[in-house]
Amino acid sequence: MDSPLPDKIPRLQQAISVLWPSFAVAIVATGVFFSAFHPRDLVPFNLDIDVSPLAAYSIGFFLFWILGILSSCGTMYFIISNRRVLSKQQN
Amino acid sequence: MQSQNTDTAEPTLYAAHRKIYPREVSGYFTRLRMLSVVVLLGIYYLIPFLQWDGRQALLFDLPARKFYIFGLILWPQDFIYLAALLILAGLSLFFFTALVGRVWCGYACPQTVWTEAYLWMERKIEGNRSHRMKLDKAPSSAAKIRTKVIKHTIWIAFSLWTGFTFVGYFTPIDELGNRLFTGNLGPWETFWILFYSFATYGNAGFMREQVCMYMCPYARFQSAMFDSDTLIVAYHPERGEPRGSRRRGVDPKQAGLGDCIDCSVCVQVCPTGIDIRDGLQYECIACSACIDACDEIMDKMSYPRGLIRYTTENAAFGKPQRILRPRVMVYATILLILCGILVGHLLQRVPLELDVIRDRNTLYRETNEGLIENVYTLKILNMDSKPHRYILSAEGIDGMKLVLDQSEILVEAGTVGRLIARIQADEYNMESRSVPVRFHLQAVEANHLLTTEEARFVGPGKN
Repeated sequence: MDSPLPDKIPRLQQAISVLWPSFAVAIVATGVFFSAFHPRDLVPFNLDIDVSPLAAYSIGFFLFWILGILSSCGTMYFIISNRRVLSKQQN
Repeated sequence: MQSQNTDTAEPTLYAAHRKIYPREVSGYFTRLRMLSVVVLLGIYYLIPFLQWDGRQALLFDLPARKFYIFGLILWPQDFIYLAALLILAGLSLFFFTALVGRVWCGYACPQTVWTEAYLWMERKIEGNRSHRMKLDKAPSSAAKIRTKVIKHTIWIAFSLWTGFTFVGYFTPIDELGNRLFTGNLGPWETFWILFYSFATYGNAGFMREQVCMYMCPYARFQSAMFDSDTLIVAYHPERGEPRGSRRRGVDPKQAGLGDCIDCSVCVQVCPTGIDIRDGLQYECIACSACIDACDEIMDKMSYPRGLIRYTTENAAFGKPQRILRPRVMVYATILLILCGILVGHLLQRVPLELDVIRDRNTLYRETNEGLIENVYTLKILNMDSKPHRYILSAEGIDGMKLVLDQSEILVEAGTVGRLIARIQADEYNMESRSVPVRFHLQAVEANHLLTTEEARFVGPGKN
């Protein structure tokens, strides 16, 4: 390593790295998913719910976003903890 | 254990953010950028109000699952066309980047366009660069609070209009407007208007160049599309160095100086806060504000223009330039082929779909005449913008008969029609237990509206 890795990433950039890629992926996933499936035909866990298509798309989008956020959080956690280990070794 | 690293040791990628106050600039490229901003914002805010055939010309009608793009109506099954359009947009970005560098970033990216608009409002309210810097440093006073409140009110109003327009691309905007003024907006419509408004307000008002630096994937990989013949904004170090201030009228050669007077105006006008004299940097969005700014200074000094200019790496080093090079031609070829395929498919696209569903309860039945009969439900999807009457025919087995509950079926535009079809055939004409049959659906008085769908005809099987 030429320069020591910082073990801190500013909060804003952490937030961007987690929220932004998952947001973009959620848009694509929502588009693909709801092109293939009509919300009318989706009855999760046999629940008797009546939602408008716009509500279904929106809820679907947020579910995809949450999944992406969870995944990105995992990546961020590993990056940060790896940096701590590396910077400990360097010092 | 706490690390020994301090903030100053961090790489520049994660440097603490300092607010940038871009200085106002005028000149040829600035006028060009302003023209682009006005045209693109005009398109964005006006297109939802455009009409076509008595409906909104461009409408991605999510509740109805139909995309209206002027004369074209796309259904969920036409998803592939939208995917192809996105791929084409991506490839065009590759092509134009190889040819002319980051013109997208400097002139057309929504982030640039809205940032310019918000910066324009900020300048009108808070004044020029030094006024804005002074205002931000000043202790809070009634006048400061008033100025800030006015700015944010106007920004928020503009953001809300932007959010409303955005939702107007997905739900008919005139109905949306009616619901807005009568207070009947749906909860999700309200949410998305606010969501997009907030994103605009945050990105154009506050995040600005940070979006380009930390959020934009294109900024990170655009160097992969660059080569030595790509148009870039560059400072001419041989001419400019050694830089230094001098009095007007002093011959720089005698003073041992280059043409750069080190006035730092090029740094002050930069929306991303870089010094172009340090060479090509990934933060540079090629907006060319520094070109206009430097040209103005060169004019004042009576030096020739172009100390900072659009150039290519080859031109800067006096090497021959090539516009048509393998990279550009490969991008152009792929782009043309894909365009051709897309246009060809769109021209051949038949706005008609036939779904054949076999009766699930009985495989087959024997008629009084001793024929084998299969029953099918046909779903006819008229994806055209006009109603049509359709005629059905079928073939596949010698001497087979098609029995329909109606000879012609009328299907309104954008709806699904249902037709029960019975096929009767002699068992001896069947080569096996299950043979294919083909249904042909043809619109009356519209010969191009023709589609074929295959189904199975099942019999008892030969012994």
